[in-house]
Amino acid sequence: MSEEGRIDFGPLDPSRDRERWEVMVGAVVAGGLARRRLTVGAQLRAWGVPSLAMAAALALVVWLAGWWRGDPVATVEPTRVVTEWAMQDEIPATERILEVLGGDHAR
Amino acid sequence: MLHRPKVQAVTDGGDIAGLVRRVQRGETAAYGPLVRAFLRPAYAVALAVLGRRADAEDVAQDAFIVALEKIESCRHPERFAGWLLQIVRNRAKNRREERRLRDVAPAADAVDAVVAPAMVAGSERGLLAALEQLSAAQREVVLLHDLEEWTHAEIAAALEISEVMSRQHLFQARRLLRGQLAGEVEDEHE
Repeated sequence: MSEEGRIDFGPLDPSRDRERWEVMVGAVVAGGLARRRLTVGAQLRAWGVPSLAMAAALALVVWLAGWWRGDPVATVEPTRVVTEWAMQDEIPATERILEVLGGDHAR
Repeated sequence: MLHRPKVQAVTDGGDIAGLVRRVQRGETAAYGPLVRAFLRPAYAVALAVLGRRADAEDVAQDAFIVALEKIESCRHPERFAGWLLQIVRNRAKNRREERRLRDVAPAADAVDAVVAPAMVAGSERGLLAALEQLSAAQREVVLLHDLEEWTHAEIAAALEISEVMSRQHLFQARRLLRGQLAGEVEDEHE
């Protein structure tokens, strides 16, 4: 189809008023970004709560299993014990260090 | 025509798929070029369905925002145009249905309302009235081709029709429009 046959749709051109057109483009970009942020935030919230609950439940199961077996490593908190050693300038025996930090290697 | 950016010019090489993927990855800098490249085609398709400038602008913007929100579901970024225009078309049809239920006397009043006073008498009104005489497919093709300067290959890909069909629609649409617009000019001179 030749260019001469083209219909002039100039009066229907939405970008004839350039400033108004730029406002429209900006509004769509801003709207798209805002919706997407909302979507990402909502997804994080939706996944965050169940994930935390699942992690807490898993930790509880592991701790209970250790406690049930009488595993000393499971009944102490390494960070707390090491902090106490540091606070009291205590130098624990190698076996004790392995027991607290090394788990199975101590036995 | 003051501002008629071609898709390829706006996207700096025409890599639409790359641009879409960047938006999918959340690159905010890619939003502007994508919107700038496709807001006018979105408007053209909305106008083809609705026949009113103001409504078409509203729907094109709303539909584009929705498309950006769910852009992950565009599984074939190279076919973004067709995907977007389908969303626009669906939302425009919904708007038309809402309008049909709401309006008592739709077309004539609405067209009068959107014609700017400073505009050449009859031009916008005449074009909208003439477009009303075409089929929906003819309106989409002629607006995408003559307003947006899309090629038949681009139109065919976006509308999922053959290039031959696109040419036929354009030929018929122009013939009908010229007849309508010539009649309008004659009426004005009488």
